[in-house]
Amino acid sequence: MRDLPGKTHVAVVGCAMHAPRDAKQRSLEEAIYAVARAALLDAGLAIDDIDGIVVGANDQLDGRAISVMMASGSVGGVGRDILSTPSAAEHAFVLGALRVSAGQFRTQLVVSWSPTEVSSIPEALRLGTDPYFHRALPLDELSAAGLQATALESAVPDIRQAAISIVVKNRNNGAIAYPDRAAAPRETAWIASGKPLRWPLTDTMVTPPAYGLVALVLADAEFVKERSLPAPAWIQGLGWATEAGLLGDRQLAALASLAAATEQAYQQAGIKNPTTAFQLAEVADATPYQELLAYEGLGLCARQEWLRACESGRFERGGTLPVNLSGGALSFNPVYCAGLMRIAEAANQLRGRAGHHQTAKLERVLAHAASGFAMQYNTVVVMGRDPVAGTHSCVGARP
Amino acid sequence: MELLTRKESWNIAYEHALGETASWFYVQIRDHAKLYGRRDPKSGRVLVPPRSFSDQTLEPTTEWVEVGPAGRIETFTIVYEQFKTLPPPPYAFGYVLLDRADTAIGGFFRGIDLSDPAQAAQTLKVGVRVNTRFAEKRTGDILDFWFELESK
Amino acid sequence: MRWCKTMKSTRVGIVGIGQSAFKSHRDDANYPELVREAVALALQDAGRGLADMQAVVYSLAPDALLGIGNAERLGVDAVGARNKRFMRINTGGSTGLSTVAAAHAHIAAGVCDVVLVAGGDKVGESGDSQAILNKIWDPTYERQLPLTTITMLAMSAVRAMHKHGMTEEDMARVTVKNRVHAALNPKAHLRKKVTIEEVFASRYLAWPIKLLDACPQSTGGCAMVLASERYIKENRLEAVWLTGLAHCSESYFIGDRMGNNYVADHADAHALRLSFERAYRMAGIKDPAKQVQAAELYAPFSNTEFHAIEAAGLAPLGQSMAMLRAGEFYLGAGTAVNPSGGTLCTNAIAVSAMVRVAEAALQVWGRAGAHQQPGARVAVASGNGGDHQFFGSAVLEA
Repeated sequence: MRDLPGKTHVAVVGCAMHAPRDAKQRSLEEAIYAVARAALLDAGLAIDDIDGIVVGANDQLDGRAISVMMASGSVGGVGRDILSTPSAAEHAFVLGALRVSAGQFRTQLVVSWSPTEVSSIPEALRLGTDPYFHRALPLDELSAAGLQATALESAVPDIRQAAISIVVKNRNNGAIAYPDRAAAPRETAWIASGKPLRWPLTDTMVTPPAYGLVALVLADAEFVKERSLPAPAWIQGLGWATEAGLLGDRQLAALASLAAATEQAYQQAGIKNPTTAFQLAEVADATPYQELLAYEGLGLCARQEWLRACESGRFERGGTLPVNLSGGALSFNPVYCAGLMRIAEAANQLRGRAGHHQTAKLERVLAHAASGFAMQYNTVVVMGRDPVAGTHSCVGARP
Repeated sequence: MELLTRKESWNIAYEHALGETASWFYVQIRDHAKLYGRRDPKSGRVLVPPRSFSDQTLEPTTEWVEVGPAGRIETFTIVYEQFKTLPPPPYAFGYVLLDRADTAIGGFFRGIDLSDPAQAAQTLKVGVRVNTRFAEKRTGDILDFWFELESK
Repeated sequence: MRWCKTMKSTRVGIVGIGQSAFKSHRDDANYPELVREAVALALQDAGRGLADMQAVVYSLAPDALLGIGNAERLGVDAVGARNKRFMRINTGGSTGLSTVAAAHAHIAAGVCDVVLVAGGDKVGESGDSQAILNKIWDPTYERQLPLTTITMLAMSAVRAMHKHGMTEEDMARVTVKNRVHAALNPKAHLRKKVTIEEVFASRYLAWPIKLLDACPQSTGGCAMVLASERYIKENRLEAVWLTGLAHCSESYFIGDRMGNNYVADHADAHALRLSFERAYRMAGIKDPAKQVQAAELYAPFSNTEFHAIEAAGLAPLGQSMAMLRAGEFYLGAGTAVNPSGGTLCTNAIAVSAMVRVAEAALQVWGRAGAHQQPGARVAVASGNGGDHQFFGSAVLEA
């Protein structure tokens, strides 16, 4: 019987999230150094306590051909074991957790960032299309999100209204959580009157890319005890999976990979009834349609219930399961590391360190991250106040 | 059968922030033709080019130290091959430990006959003293200066 | 202690290996097809199907070399990862070994029993890999200089000549040896034997590195199936064991590896030595020079094989040149170094370090064919990435 901790339980013991106000004051290397140090300070640890590092870095956004190279010195890589997961920022978290869980490392520092130094972020991301069939098309991430939204709108009638209500909710949340950087709160009619960017997505349904950085410190149970680290957010379940590469090979309106990732995480954490298992969730919301897909994929709400659930206020502040109290990517969108920020936000809530948007009485929280064109990669993290979540069977992967 | 290819190139540009430390360093080069390093308080090493923190100790550096203009060659190479987007060969460049610095800075070596590789490599040796030369027109960049052998 | 625990409890084995016959170009196969080719070979070797794989770790270094951003997304179907655990690793040239380490963590953490590692590269399609590789340097201070992986390691050679008395002839001897080995390896890219005179007659790229001191730009794929000991036993699979795995890194700044009071010398491979020390500790190897019969050490230029040999503990610092002169490191010697021909004869960057692990595994498996080191029971592999910055090492045992 093993829960995620194959050998040991793993907890998030430090977090930092930065949104540099003056991007020119520091080089990217210096900004990464600052966020890594801030996470260590938050954990009450020094760099000598860190055994290994995983960073999530995207060469095209960073303008560095092997981006982990420049970042390594900033995060304490010299003399240490540092790896990089360019596939997604949240994959750095997954690998960091696996490395601690395997018993080879007591601690890991997980860091990712998303700068805005490139002349055009859409153009940089468009390089992710294959040069054989799709590069000649205007297929950037926003177009892919638009295609997904179209597929969803045609599959589920009247969900545009639900989508708009999610934007309203997350922008309201953002105004409380991070009034300095979040998109301003707006009423439903305003959100509904946006200009189309990539139909059916409008300029009020997305937030322009922002500069952000995030760092987390992970530690094993022994280390947490030895250092008496306060309020660890224990990882109870971890799942990750991918969709096919080409959009034409996928069911854009149904995320099989999210269902798979959810099953892995829930099985590990022993979650039987997701609708009552969590007191809070942070989910992918680069567009409101992503958040809807997350509701379904995470087993929180069937698609036929989306509109009703949104109208009921269930996912709002004060509802039974507040989603994206941080404001999500709909209020602040550091494109590449937005997913890792969801995980950090959920961990901070459990640790009682969320700030203005802190929620009381949390036992267990859920985080979901998506990356790639039309949510290709989905990652699900269940975290709790206790290392072990009730009764659980063994790890999901056993055939 | 007929096998086709598609030509694609990446056309994206970047505006990289240099930050306070590198900006100050480059302004000194541009306006005063002077070179500076930053001292790591923990190890005492003067880092050139200046870094705002030491990647060995992860401590912020705390002091500007003027370095050079003379120094010694720590390593070099002489390039005889044309690479796309890089200068036409032959050229020599490498790393120089400037006086009062503890780490070496990269730059071109100029004023050396590179036609015979073996002979040029005898002239440019590890430990050979060099001097920094600054361009008349400086933009605030690493290419505003280069190294020449110290005149005997 | 930064790295403190051993993982004796979960043994991880390699149960299947697939690699392309590497070439300069493959116009008959696009990038995902190339990866698929290696995956099919590895699965066949393991006697498993794609459906058996519980996770995939994807090996891919800079996107720019392929000209596809996050090209691993395109590889998802090539590796059959749809709706499965999937992630990509990139630590530059060490990527392939880092990928194996990440897959190992999947299994050692108890999350998976069978994991596929795979990748491929088409360096030949990039136009000019060195123009792209210049972009690995920091845009603040160094990219303005004509730094490339060739010039960067030529500068390591210059320091090794100064510090250890390495000569151009010593360098040529590495090429001669590795070409002798590659001639026996049907998967190698450059398989023609050469003489010291031919190396000397080849043109200088960046002094002291000549064309025949340098690796080719190779096209091909590599994949392996890793499994837990329990799974291997339950399914009665043949396996060799990954008993040591570790990484260590140096400063990004080459100029910090020289001057005064430096920690690492750019002449050597300081962090690779630390990485090997960690891997040996994990594997319980006390005297590598006596205990290791085959070493697949990442060395894309002839000169860099010397510091890799020394970092792996197979020769004292500065002594590997004399040992090669005396005929060591050839197939049949106490420790064969790069019996496959090594990175010097085949470099498909995204998988070069994985090929090192694969070749080391084949050696202890006794399946290396014409380039088998007789009696190999313990083999090591290494990977170097970034600007001589990221180092990984692995110990494989029969």
